[in-house]
Amino acid sequence: MIDERTEDLAALYALDLLEGAELASFESALAGDPALAHLVGELRSSSTALAYTAPVVAPPADLRRRVLASIDAQLAAEPEDARILRPSFSVFRTLLPWAAAACFALTAAWFGQLYLSARSEAGLLRDTQALTELSLKSAQTQLEAERILARRQYADQEKIVVETRAQVTQRDTQLAALAERVTSLSAQLKSEGDLAQLKITALASMLKNSPQALAVAVWSPEKQEGILRAEKLPALASDQDYQLWVVDPQYKDPVDGGVFTVDPQTGEARLKFKGKQPIKEIAAYAITLERKGGVAKSAGPFLLLGK
Amino acid sequence: MVLMFPCPTAAFAISRDQASGSSRPPDRVRMSDPVATPPPDERQQADARLVRRIAEGDKNALAELYDRFSRPLYATALRVVQDPAEAQDVVHDAFVTLWEKAASFEATRGSAFSWAVTLVRNRAIDRVRMRRRRAELLTASAPSDLGYDESNTGPGADDTASLGDEARAVRAAVAALPPDQKRALELAFFSGLTQQQIAEKLAEPLGTVKARIRRALLKLRDTVARRL
Repeated sequence: MIDERTEDLAALYALDLLEGAELASFESALAGDPALAHLVGELRSSSTALAYTAPVVAPPADLRRRVLASIDAQLAAEPEDARILRPSFSVFRTLLPWAAAACFALTAAWFGQLYLSARSEAGLLRDTQALTELSLKSAQTQLEAERILARRQYADQEKIVVETRAQVTQRDTQLAALAERVTSLSAQLKSEGDLAQLKITALASMLKNSPQALAVAVWSPEKQEGILRAEKLPALASDQDYQLWVVDPQYKDPVDGGVFTVDPQTGEARLKFKGKQPIKEIAAYAITLERKGGVAKSAGPFLLLGK
Repeated sequence: MVLMFPCPTAAFAISRDQASGSSRPPDRVRMSDPVATPPPDERQQADARLVRRIAEGDKNALAELYDRFSRPLYATALRVVQDPAEAQDVVHDAFVTLWEKAASFEATRGSAFSWAVTLVRNRAIDRVRMRRRRAELLTASAPSDLGYDESNTGPGADDTASLGDEARAVRAAVAALPPDQKRALELAFFSGLTQQQIAEKLAEPLGTVKARIRRALLKLRDTVARRL
């Protein structure tokens, strides 16, 4: 019984499609298996029938002449003796022992071929092993190369991280500077806003002996403080002070703004003042001449007045 | 013990008994003659007698065998090499070899026609493979289609009217094969490709291709082998 795998090989052998070790192995099996040899013969004969499936086309007439001319040329080249000795059946009878010897020689040659095939197969296996080892070395080299590459990539990535960190720090610094700038600008804006809110009032002289006396008061409602600057006020006696009053409609009496003296040479004075009570709205300023240290409630005449 | 040899001439080695066979004149029947086609056994015997006469140096026998075989042999060569000039060279060389090796033909190992087809096919495939190797060396890689044009089946593909009974039977048997088996078998016989290359061309696993070739060849054997 021939199994399917052997039938596969027999079909391929019949079509001359076996090669190398497969061919040698199959021929070895074929040599000892008459049934397989019979199958191969049948399959080879069947395969050659495929010649009939090729499209029918007549060979050129000249081809026949060419073939026969080649045969003529061979016959002409052969010596007469050789022509007589051309294999004929009577000659076969006389040459039987030689034919038997030739068969033995062929058999020996065939076994030799088998031996050579086996040796060739072993060589192939050695080559395969060498190739496998080479492949392994190649794979190891490739792995090492990839490891080096990965390491380089990691180092590059690390460098990028450091650079990115430095950039982030720089940005932070820039952001801090910007924030500071924003704060400064905000403060400036606020300050400018404060200035816009400042209330400035000029005080005119009510004095007959110093009509040119003049004062300017600047008040910040938010800070509840102000500055008074006066000029050309008459010099004071040592037991006297000028006293500033702030008139706020919410109070019945003017609110005490503090006392001050003047430079006897220039008649100039400067007072940073605050109201003794919270001031909501300033309707007017007034400066009076009071005893040293001032009074809680003014009773004297106004020396300067500003609304 | 039966020994099989890869060489086609050795595979058809002539036996001593047949060498001393009858000297009956050969039947003068052309293979392509649709009317006078003799029964297969008779035709094979006639072919074998012609080969024996050739072995004795009878040039007329070779001319007669040429007339019987040249059409299918030339068609086969042309199908494989796909070039008329090369196909003529192949057929010429095959007949010269047949003349030189006729004494080694053994009718019990196969028909004279099978032997002649094997001679032609092997030479044609050798040429195709050599051509392919040259192309590979020139291009440093194998051509993608492996150089076999299945569509180029040449002129006269439907010329069945001029075929003999055997040819018609073979064609019918091959046509009845499942298409995948038919394609695998034709590639195996005509293309000169290796098993692996056939599998690549068909985009099928090698095992599948082997099984298709086996099934197709066994069916062909069961259908037509006894006619050849």
